Amino acid sequence: MSNENTTIEPNTERTAWWKSFVTTENVITSITSLVIFLAIILPLFWLIVSSFQILDDMGFDTEWGLGNYYEVFQGRVIRKAFINTLIISTGTTILASFLGVLLAWINARTNCPWRDKIEPFNLIPFFLSPFVGAIAWHNLAAPKVGFLNNIARGIFGIEGHIMNVDNIFGVIWVTGIFFTPLVYLFVVGSLRRMDPSLEDSARTTGASLFRTTMTVTLPLVTPAILSGAIIVFVTSAGEFGVPFKLGAPYGYDTLTTQIYSKAVGDDANHYLGAAMSMTLAAITCVLIWIQRRIIAPKEYTTVTGKGFRPNTIDLGRWKWAALSVNLLYIFVAVILPLICLLIVSFHPVWEGKIIPADLTLWNYKKILYFWSPESIGIATRGIINSFILAFSGATIAMIFAILISYMIHRTKGFGATALDFLCVIPIGFPGIVLAMGVLVTYIKTPIYATLGILLVGYITRFFPYGQRNISSIMLAISEELDQSSRMAGASWLTTLRRITIPLLKPGIFAGWILLFVIFLRELSISIILYSVGTETLSVGVLYLADFEGDPLTAALAIVQTVILLGCIILFRKVAGKEALTA
Amino acid sequence: MTNDKMKNYLTIQNLVKYFGNDRAVDGISFDLTEGEFLTLLGPSGCGKTTTLMSIAGLHKPDAGEISVGGKSFTSMEGNIFLQPEKRDIGMVFQSYAIWPHMTVEKNISYPLEVRNCDPSEIEDRVMEVIRLVGLEDMVGKDATQLSGGQQQRAALARAIVCDPSLLLFDEPLSNLDLKLREKMRLELKRIQNEVGITSVYVTHDQAEALVMSDEIIVMSKGKIEQSGGPHSIYAKPVNRYVSNFIGMANLLEGEMAVVSKTGLSEISVSQDGETISIPCVLDDDSISQGDTAVLSVRPENVYAIKEKPDGPTIKGKVIQTVFLGNYVDCRVRWGNFEWKIQAHPREHLTEGEEVYIRLDSNHALAVLP
Repeated sequence: MSNENTTIEPNTERTAWWKSFVTTENVITSITSLVIFLAIILPLFWLIVSSFQILDDMGFDTEWGLGNYYEVFQGRVIRKAFINTLIISTGTTILASFLGVLLAWINARTNCPWRDKIEPFNLIPFFLSPFVGAIAWHNLAAPKVGFLNNIARGIFGIEGHIMNVDNIFGVIWVTGIFFTPLVYLFVVGSLRRMDPSLEDSARTTGASLFRTTMTVTLPLVTPAILSGAIIVFVTSAGEFGVPFKLGAPYGYDTLTTQIYSKAVGDDANHYLGAAMSMTLAAITCVLIWIQRRIIAPKEYTTVTGKGFRPNTIDLGRWKWAALSVNLLYIFVAVILPLICLLIVSFHPVWEGKIIPADLTLWNYKKILYFWSPESIGIATRGIINSFILAFSGATIAMIFAILISYMIHRTKGFGATALDFLCVIPIGFPGIVLAMGVLVTYIKTPIYATLGILLVGYITRFFPYGQRNISSIMLAISEELDQSSRMAGASWLTTLRRITIPLLKPGIFAGWILLFVIFLRELSISIILYSVGTETLSVGVLYLADFEGDPLTAALAIVQTVILLGCIILFRKVAGKEALTA
Repeated sequence: MTNDKMKNYLTIQNLVKYFGNDRAVDGISFDLTEGEFLTLLGPSGCGKTTTLMSIAGLHKPDAGEISVGGKSFTSMEGNIFLQPEKRDIGMVFQSYAIWPHMTVEKNISYPLEVRNCDPSEIEDRVMEVIRLVGLEDMVGKDATQLSGGQQQRAALARAIVCDPSLLLFDEPLSNLDLKLREKMRLELKRIQNEVGITSVYVTHDQAEALVMSDEIIVMSKGKIEQSGGPHSIYAKPVNRYVSNFIGMANLLEGEMAVVSKTGLSEISVSQDGETISIPCVLDDDSISQGDTAVLSVRPENVYAIKEKPDGPTIKGKVIQTVFLGNYVDCRVRWGNFEWKIQAHPREHLTEGEEVYIRLDSNHALAVLP
C-alpha cells in the first residue's frame, strides 16, 4: 500500500470534493433539467393556485375558495359547455376510430389497389389545421352560404338546405375526419408489424378468415385502437378552432371556447378560466395516464421484431369498394375543403355560388402584400410572426429535445426517470389549458405581450413531440458509439457535436419539421397569449373569420395550407417514407 | 525504471461499485506490469465489465483507487476522478462502435483530430495503423461497408492510433463467428505484441483468455477467485469454481484423509457406499486433515484401463464414447458420478464395457470447495 502511494505524482493531490462533479456535462444537463422543470411546473402551479382564487364582483380583489369550481359544475352555461365537450369528444372518437381502423386495415392488410400511393394522402389532415377544415366545411355546408347546399338547391329545386354543419354534429364531423390519421397511425403500425404466423396458426386450426380476423387479428390490435381512441378523445376535448367556428356561434359552447371567452375580452376572469382549465386537464391527464400506463404496455405486436410481411387478404371484387373508401376519405377530408376554399378565396363576396365574372386575386394581395397600405396588418403580421415563431420555436425545442433525450437514455438513476415522467405532462394538457397556465405565470413579467410568451407556450407544450422523435432513435443507437468517442480523447461537448448529433440527424430534421408544422398552424395557445402586434397565422385566420368576410379568411387559410403542404413534402423527403407509419 | 518494465504500471485498489443495492464489484485489487496483457475472465454479471468501465472512467466507482503509470485516474478517497477523455486510453468495444456516419479513415483519425495533431502527421499515422491491422483494402470506404471482422480491425486501429498508455478490450470477439474469432485472437495478440501497449481484456471465453493472456484474473460475483498466468490457472486452480470455469474437470467432493507438505496427500471420496482414498497434490495451506475438499482432475489426466491395477480401485462402466479424431471423449459411470476421460483412440473403449479408472496423481488436485 505505502510504496504505491509514493509513486503517485504531485498533480493528483487531494482536491475539493465538489470539483469532480463540475463538468461541462453536469453543468449543461443540470441547467437544462432545471429550465424544463420550471417551464412545465410553474404554469401548472400557478394554474392550480389561481383556480382557487375567486374574483369579486368589482373585478379587483380576489379571495380564496372553491367558488370557481362551484361555477364550473353548477353554473348553467359552463355545465352545458362541459357536457357539449364530452359529447363532441365521444362522437369524434367513434367517428375517427371507425374511419382510422377501417383505412388502416384496408391499407395494411388487403389487396386494395394503389394502397401504397394512397397512404400519404390519407395522412395529410394530420398536418393541416382543423380550424381551416371547419372554415372550409362551413363554406361547403352552412345552410345559406354552403356551396353544396346551393348546388343541391340548383339541382333538386328545393328550398332550404340538405345539410348543416353549424351545430354539434358539424363539429364532430370535422374533428372526426381530421383526427382519423391519429387512430390510423397507431393501428397501421400494429397491423404491419404483426407476426403473420399468429394468424396462419389460427387458420391451420381450421378457423375461417373471418373468424381469424375477429378472434386473433382484432384482439391483437385492440390496445393500439384504444391508444389511438384515447389520444383522439383528449385531442378533441382540447380542440378550440372547430367548436369556435361551428359550435359556439350557434349555441354549442365547449370548455375550450368558454376558457377563451374568460381569458380574453372585457369580462376576462383568469381565475374562472383557470378552474375550467383544471377541469379539462383533469379529464385529459387521467386518460393520458391510462393510455401510457395501462394500454400502451399491452401493445404486444409492436415489440415483435421486424422483417415480417403481413398477410394480405384478397378482397376480390370488393377491393374496388375498399379503394372507394380510401378515395372518399381523401375527397371529403382534403380535396373538397381545399377546392371550396380556393373557389371562395377568389370571390370578393361569397354567397354560396361561383360568379365567374367576379373572380379576382384581390384577397391574396390584401393578405400577402405587406408593404402595401391596403394590406390587412393582422394577416401579414401573422404570416411573418408565425414564421419567426415556428423557426425559432422548432430550433430551441429540438435543442431541448436532444439534451433531454440524452439525459433520459444516457444517464441513469432517479433524474432520468423523473425527466421521462416530466416530459409526459405537457402531452396531457390541452394547448389552451397550458396557455392559461403560461398566461397567469408570465403576466407580470416583461415577456408578456411579446412573441416571447408565445414561444415559451409553444415550446413547453410541444417539445415532448420532438423529444419522442429523438428518443426513439437514441434507443436504437448503441451507447458505445458515444463512449468510444470519449475514450478517443474527445470531451463531452465534442462527442455531442461530432458523434451524437450527426447520428441523430434524421430524427432531428424530422422532429424539427414536425414542430415547424405544428407551430405554423398553432391556434389554441396563440389565441390566449397573443396581443396586438404578436398575432400569428391562425390568429389572423380567426380574426378575418370574425371581422372580415369568408373570401379573405379563405385566402389566408389557403396560404397557410400551401405552406403546410410544402412542409409535408419536405418532411417525407427528409424523414423517409416510413417515418410516420413505421 | 527507465529501461526495464514498470511493475505496478496499472494498479487497482479496493475497487467497489454498486448498482442499486448490488455490489457489482466488491473491493477488488490487482496490478499489472507494463506491456503485459491481462484478461478479466468470468461469466456475465461477475463484475469484469464494470471493472473495465471503471478503469476507462465510463463508470464512476463508489470506492477505490485506480492509477496508471503512476498517475492517479480515480481516487474516491482523494476526490480524484479524471474524465474518460483525459485518461489517454484506447478502447475496443463489444459492438466495435465504429461510427457509421464517417469513413474508415475518419473513424481512425478521430483520436488524432481531437488532439489537434498536424494534418500531415495524422495522414501518415493513420496509414501506418491501417497497415498494421491489415485494412489497406478498405481505405476510402464508408464505415458501413465493413464486415464484422473488418470493423473489429478498424476499432483496434482507432484504439491504438495515438499510442495510448493503456488498451482496453470489452469482449471484442463475442460478435464474431467461431472461425473468425479464432483467427482474430491470434491477430489481436500479434498486434498487441507489436505495439507493446499494456492491455486489459474482458471475456467470458476461457479459451480466448488462455490463448492471449500473460495474466488471467478469474472473477465471480464481484470478487477475484484467482489470478495468475494461463498455465498456472489451468494446472493449479485454487477452488472448485475456477477448476470448473477453466477447461473441463472431474470434480469430486471428499474429506482430506492425509495431508502432506512434501509428498502426496490423500483425499477420501465416497460413491454408492464405496469409499476410496485417492492420492493427490495439496497446495493450499488452509486445508487441513479432516476438512472437506474437492478433488479436481482434468480429463486428460484420467485413464480408463482394462486390467485390474494393484491396490484399491475405481471400477466403472463406459456409458458413452464420442470419437473426435485425435482423442475419444469418453464417459465412465462410477456410482452416481460420471468420469470425463480423454482417451486415446487406440484404446478401443466400447460402450457398456467395464473399466478401471487410474488418475495421474501428480495432476490430481485437492482444492477448496
